[in-house]
Amino acid sequence: MIEINNLVKRYGDKTAVNDISFSVKNDEVLGFLGPNGAGKTTTMNIITGYISSTSGTVKVNGHDILEEPELAKKEIGYLPENPPLYNDMTVREYLDFMFDLKAVPKAKRKGQLERIITLVKISDVTDRLIGNLSKGYKQRVGIAQAMVGDPSILILDEPTVGLDPNQIIEIRKLIKSLSKSHSIVISSHILPEIQEIADRVVIINKGKIAAVDTLTDLSRRLSGQSKILMTFSGPLKECSSKIRTVPGVSSSVPRVADNKISQLEIGISADNTTEVRAAIFFMMAKEGWPILEFRSLDPSLEEVFLNITTGKRRA
Amino acid sequence: MYAIFKREFLSYFRAPVGYVAIAIFTFISGFIFYSQFLTGIVNISSEVISLRSLFVVIVPIITMGLLADDKKRGTDILYYTTPISLFNVVCGKVFASFALFMIMFVNVIIHMIVVLCCGGVIGVGAVGSIIVFIFMAFMFITIGMFASAITDSQIVSAIVSFVIIFVTQLISMISDYIGTAMCSLITMIGIDSEKASSFGNSVKNAVAWFDPFAKTQNFRIGIFSVSALFFLVSIGVLFLYLTYRVLEKKRWSQA
Repeated sequence: MIEINNLVKRYGDKTAVNDISFSVKNDEVLGFLGPNGAGKTTTMNIITGYISSTSGTVKVNGHDILEEPELAKKEIGYLPENPPLYNDMTVREYLDFMFDLKAVPKAKRKGQLERIITLVKISDVTDRLIGNLSKGYKQRVGIAQAMVGDPSILILDEPTVGLDPNQIIEIRKLIKSLSKSHSIVISSHILPEIQEIADRVVIINKGKIAAVDTLTDLSRRLSGQSKILMTFSGPLKECSSKIRTVPGVSSSVPRVADNKISQLEIGISADNTTEVRAAIFFMMAKEGWPILEFRSLDPSLEEVFLNITTGKRRA
Repeated sequence: MYAIFKREFLSYFRAPVGYVAIAIFTFISGFIFYSQFLTGIVNISSEVISLRSLFVVIVPIITMGLLADDKKRGTDILYYTTPISLFNVVCGKVFASFALFMIMFVNVIIHMIVVLCCGGVIGVGAVGSIIVFIFMAFMFITIGMFASAITDSQIVSAIVSFVIIFVTQLISMISDYIGTAMCSLITMIGIDSEKASSFGNSVKNAVAWFDPFAKTQNFRIGIFSVSALFFLVSIGVLFLYLTYRVLEKKRWSQA
């Protein structure tokens, strides 16, 4: 587990990270989101001990990264944005070097090496030069490197950047399988990726934390109400005003109207939308306007992200 | 430290660098030995002393990539984020370069064997010159590594270490110039010439004190001095420490 308290990093008069606090629980995947230049990489570099913070503390499984660096670093595997690979080594030589660097006892090496190679699926390239591998394989070797020494925490900085869609899916699967036995912090600005694998997200913008929450809570909290898109055939204006009379409906905005179908965007302020939807159904049935489609309009992570990072939150 | 040593040392042989350095050394030392051999009088001591002028070429070649390359590739992040200490990284790298130098030095040992086989004698002066050579190699390698630490371009690093080593080799000449310049400067502001020349002399001596070649010149006639070797080691350790501080500074940098 990682505890980050009041982290500040200043470069001259520019504040890259401004008073960030959050924690990563055991066996949790934490998505770390933010636009370019928000301070994601800086924060990750501080957590892993690559750079120091101006003030604030980072504790990794109880060890302060500056006071007990060796113990703290043993717990962390880090995949930076550019995987730190030596192009003139073969994959096996490189991983052996990493075992040396992380001082893994000789007895543990063989089993661990085989396990890592099968898990990240690089068994068919172990004797090739890293410089000759494709970007996807290099990224895997990067992840393999982070796993050397069996750290309990993996920190992955944009692990899927620059990969093709197939490779992205593969890496995503890999991260999912790793999440069963590791705490993972993964940064990205590709939102569906985070949506799929993260348990919680931290959104950071201009060096400050803009939101920390689970994804579902986040979207609900930000939208403040549920929205439903209703498609039906019937008179749009008349229906819109009628629907506003249904208890629990807070708004109704006409969307599309042509001869055959009409669409209404209905805002529901009640906590439980089921009753309101049923009431709408019976009202429509009574009027003889058949409902063709009911669709929930919960904001996607993309919308949440945009709203937070551009500073306009929805009412 | 062993991990870094192993990687750096083997990397010399994954790229042409190691082979180029060894080839240059083998060729020049072989040529010197050959021309001595032709005259019938082989002096290992003077061969080793001539080979010292190769420092200016070989040291930049083998040290330019030590840290500059890591920074360019982004692999220096490994040194900061794994449990290894930066001081061990620096030492491992120096010893890797030093080991490569020792491999080149095998040439000289072969020449010595040839001399012994032909009934020649290896004098105490030759032993002295070899000791000086080894200590100087260590000193210049640390200087080269320092040059590699302050930049992320191999070319810049090579040029910086070339200039430093070149200046070191010319230090006795340079100290003369500086002494004379100081003397005339002082005379210009109106101090009498006797005082001025003694001041110029002190400046000259102060600069010349740093000359590693003058300090160790008695080794070739068999007079060994621990203080001279201590001087070489101290400079080496100083640059080792400076390199370590440069790496360490990156972590704490606030600018």
